[in-house]
Formats: sequence, structure tokens, C-alpha cells
Amino acid sequence: MSANLRRVVVCLDVDGGRVKKGVRFEGLRDVGDPVELAARYEAEGADELVFLDITATVESRPALFEIVRRTAEVLFIPLTLGGGIRSVDDVATALRAGADKVAVNSAAVSDPTLLTAAAERFGAQCVVLSIDAKRDATSPSGFRVVTHGGRRPTSLDAVEWARAGARAGAGEILLTSIDHDGARDGYELELTRVVAAAVEVPVVASGGAGAPRHLVELFQSTGADAALVAGILHDGVTTVGALKAALRDGDVAVR
Amino acid sequence: MKIALLDLGFGNLHSLAKAFSSIAPDTEVTIAPRVSDASHADLWVLPGVGGWSAVSLEQHRETLRAALERGQPCIGICLGMQLLFDDSEEGAGKGIGFFEGSVTRLSSARRPHMGWSRVAGTERAGSLAVPHAAYFAHSFACRPRDEATVVATTTIEGDTFACVAEKKRTIGIQFHPEKSSTEGIAFLASAVRRVTA
Repeated sequence: MSANLRRVVVCLDVDGGRVKKGVRFEGLRDVGDPVELAARYEAEGADELVFLDITATVESRPALFEIVRRTAEVLFIPLTLGGGIRSVDDVATALRAGADKVAVNSAAVSDPTLLTAAAERFGAQCVVLSIDAKRDATSPSGFRVVTHGGRRPTSLDAVEWARAGARAGAGEILLTSIDHDGARDGYELELTRVVAAAVEVPVVASGGAGAPRHLVELFQSTGADAALVAGILHDGVTTVGALKAALRDGDVAVR
Repeated sequence: MKIALLDLGFGNLHSLAKAFSSIAPDTEVTIAPRVSDASHADLWVLPGVGGWSAVSLEQHRETLRAALERGQPCIGICLGMQLLFDDSEEGAGKGIGFFEGSVTRLSSARRPHMGWSRVAGTERAGSLAVPHAAYFAHSFACRPRDEATVVATTTIEGDTFACVAEKKRTIGIQFHPEKSSTEGIAFLASAVRRVTA
């Protein structure tokens, strides 16, 4: 029995204060302001929002935190900030700016104690371990952890790392399939299934959403708590409302 | 209306302050590091981010309990609700003890309980706009001894717990109304009206 209603999480790639590609909403050709977009997606029924700082350079940080601050002013759903989080101080700055959760990726691979330190200081509920995984037959589960957008393989097995990360203090796992990311041919079901079965913390599946039926398929056949959606919403292929309607039709319990 | 958020080492109170400010145009929200700084407020808010042990209640416990017993309007959110109870499995130290009962670990396999869950109001709900679903982020839950104080419940993997409880002019809320979108804010507004009426 699933405890929670399944979540639709909208992800915005932020670059230097703007949403990278811009987003098409009905009647508006291009909206690049993350603050305005955040409010629109909440109104559409998004359950959570993720800001991903895709540049994550030292110079871009002040602008990013300013956006988080302004977004937190208007948003009444949880906001996760990811990208470029290197230290407990970075986590503190993000939370102070108004983020509810902070996603840590390669910094946790280099130093897993970062998860523990952040969880001890701020609580596991705000520490998200972001895992990028790729199919690799030589890894025990069949999936290897990669970093740097998939370019750099690590020695870690995806399932083992998810388990270790949750034990170290992560309260949630954001699981991205690098093979499926951007392909819009559906989520990586096998990866999501094995990771969700291995950990007790919620798993957010990411990479591959191309149509509402992909979310239905994900929730019907894996233990994922949430589905991350980006491109198909921003391009106007579908809406959060349409995704929720498809999920209800598929007997998936949503808000 | 003057609302004081009691900052007893809770951390980020910004989004909560913003939520309370948004419910009525004439609301003045201040952050009070000590209970004595909140004495002139119409409503006290016990926020809660972090763990039981992170909160320094020691100097404030008796003052808080006495004030709530006298009918001081108060809303406790998440950990702030839990602190209104006697004690917690999460850590040492006593709670405020305004509600009788303990805070215990959720019995669900998946913890923390993070995300949106359905909420069911009891007969006590009355004028409170109990939301259909709300956002939770916790591993422990309140077990009030007096069933009559329960306003709403949530069930996680068969574990049913009080997610809203009320006694005198105090309401404890386990979920985060400030993160539960339009319904959450509407509920918070109704709770403020109820305790300050």
C-alpha cells in the first residue's frame, strides 16, 4: 500500500537568473522569469518545484539565491534547490534563502559525510540525494552512478549508493536516468523499481517524461513517490492538469 | 492582528511568516526570540523545522503552558505541534505538556513521511477548513490521550495519527499548511480565525 499521494514535481533549469529555455504558457509565448513560472506551475497543480542551477558557477550564485528568495515570497508548495551545492554552508545559504530542500549530487559522491552533516544540522527532510545513473552491465544492479552530466563514471553502483546515501542522512532520492533524460520515451522503469525497492526514503524519478502515459506507467509499475517533469511542460506539450487527469484515470492517487 | 512567531532555535521562519502575512492584509508578523517578547501578540505560533533536541524549551516551558491553559491563542506547526505534548521518542527532554500524550515514531516502513497525503476531518473540525490533502515532512507523530482533541487524522501504511488537534485556544498542525498550496493557506486562515475568535 502506498502511503502518499503520488507527486508531480516540476523542474526548472535556471541559468544566471533566467529559466534556460523559456517556457510557453497559453497566451504567453515565452516566460523566462523563474518567479513568475513558479507561481504559474503552483496554480496549475504542481505538487513541488525544483530549481536546478545548471551553470552553478561562483559568479551565478548570488543571482540564484536572489531568485530563490523572490520565489519563496510567492510560492506555497515545497521548493528544492539543486546544482552546485558543495558544503553544509551552501545548504544553509539555500535554506536561509527560502528553499525547503537542497539536492546534493557530485559533492556527496566525493564526500558522503556531507549528507550526514547536513541532516544532523537541518533534518533529513531537507536533504535530497541527487543520483545520476546510467545502464552498465558491469555494475551489480546493472546501473552505475555517473557525474558531470553523465560524462564521468564513478565506482559506485546506483542501488548501493542510494542505500548508503539514505543511511548517511538523505531524506529523499532524486533519481535521474541519464540514458532517458531528454529522450521523452518514458522513465527508466527498471532503475526506478530497483532503487525504490532498496530504500525506505521517497524516490523521485527523473528523465524521460514524454507524455502523460509515461507517468501512469511509472507509478503503476514502480515504487516511485514522485515524477519529475520538465521539458514537456515548458514546451507546452502537456500541462500539469492534464498529467493529473491522466493519473486519476489510471487509478493513481494524486492530489 | 499581531502574530508572534516564537523562535526557540527553530531556524528558517521566513516561509511561515510569509504565509501568516498573506492570510489577512492587516496582519503584523514578528519573530520573538523569547516568550516575553510575544506578550502583546494576539496569536503565538510555535513553528518547527528540525529535531526535538534542537529546541531549547527549558526556560519557556512553564510560561508557555500556563499561558495556553489561560487561553492564549496559539498555533503549533509540525515540530511545533509535537512540542505541545508531554514527551517524544525522538529525543530527551520534556515537551510543554499542554496536550496529554507522547510523540512516537511512525510505524510505517517508509520514513520520513514526506509528501502529500489525504487528511480527514473529525466531528470537531466544524468551522476549520480542513484540506483534502496536505504536505507532510516528519518521522514522528503525536498520540493525544484525549481522542476528543483530535480535529483531523492522516493514515500512513495503516498508522493513523492526529494531524490536527485542538484544546482551548490552541491548535496543533502536523503538516505544513504553508507548503500545502491554496487549501493549506485557507486552512491556516480558518485556524487563525478559530483560535482568536
